[in-house]
Amino acid sequence: MSTTQMMKGILDGCLLSIISEKEVYGYELAEKLEGYGFHSFSEGTIYPLLLRMQKEELVTSTLKKSTAGPKRKYYTLTPKGEQELEIFITKWSDLQTTVNNVLNKKI
Amino acid sequence: MKEVILSKRSQTFIEDLRVYLFSSGKKEEEIEEIVTELEDHLIEAEKRGKSTEDIIGKSPKTYMQQLSNEMKIDYKTWMKYFVIIIAGVFSISIIGDILNGPISYSLLEIGGSLVISLLFIMLTFWVFKLVSSRSLTYGIQGLLFFLLAIVPLGLFIGLEFATRSITTPVVEFGLIGTWIAGGLTVVFLISISIWAKTLVLPVIAAFLVLPEYLLGFTSMNEETMLIWSTIITYAGIGAYVLFTAKKSK
Repeated sequence: MSTTQMMKGILDGCLLSIISEKEVYGYELAEKLEGYGFHSFSEGTIYPLLLRMQKEELVTSTLKKSTAGPKRKYYTLTPKGEQELEIFITKWSDLQTTVNNVLNKKI
Repeated sequence: MKEVILSKRSQTFIEDLRVYLFSSGKKEEEIEEIVTELEDHLIEAEKRGKSTEDIIGKSPKTYMQQLSNEMKIDYKTWMKYFVIIIAGVFSISIIGDILNGPISYSLLEIGGSLVISLLFIMLTFWVFKLVSSRSLTYGIQGLLFFLLAIVPLGLFIGLEFATRSITTPVVEFGLIGTWIAGGLTVVFLISISIWAKTLVLPVIAAFLVLPEYLLGFTSMNEETMLIWSTIITYAGIGAYVLFTAKKSK
């Protein structure tokens, strides 16, 4: 395993969180992730995740005309996606606390 | 006024991805969607000096697989190709045989044709997937496409010989049966063409069958006739394929 496996779940959560702020398109999403400090993955990784999240109806997409020319696919969260984000936030803070506890050896 | 500023590498990747997803049996609209999205991403990224690898990672094949795994297989389209090819094989042989009188087929011929058509479809998709996801030399690509063309042909010739030496029950159509089969075939060819929105089957059938039949009315001797009808057949099909390829571009 599976730092990749773990990373995927975390990336999922981060994508949901970024999309929840405002609707974004693929490149913007990758750029924001990078801006927050995710450097070690190839940007294209987000697309299989987005495809799956669409299949699971966590996000929906609409095509909008961009200024540059081609139509762009913008993502927004569905109610189900918002729930999923809530769950992720709780899980993540639990995990964070637990891992910190272990590392700091305190009970 | 879309300016193409994409690097050669990215362009190749985009084209390969389209072929890969298509030969994995994915839905055309979904393929178009993801391909456009990635193209857009690559253009934006390259404007800012990123490389193709920064986006798709080191292995295009792995990345294509990841995308493919998240997309549904479009069984309807698969069925469409399957039906077209099977119907094509049968209608072309039926039409060709009808002009020589009442038709009859052995079970081996019928079953064999079905199996070979199925094999041909699977082989086609396999070859396209292979060619699009690996960096093969032109020689090997050419060899694969050559195999793709030669294997079904060889199998059909083999089947032809097998039916001569192995006796299986024969389905006799009789005169009326032949007319009905011919009528059904023509109806089938027309409806398939409308359904699939392509004239490729009737055109191929016509070029395979008509030259020999029409030249039969002339005073040519058998040999010249055979040569000419073969030339017309291949030139005709070739011209049609070129014509449609040009039109679709």
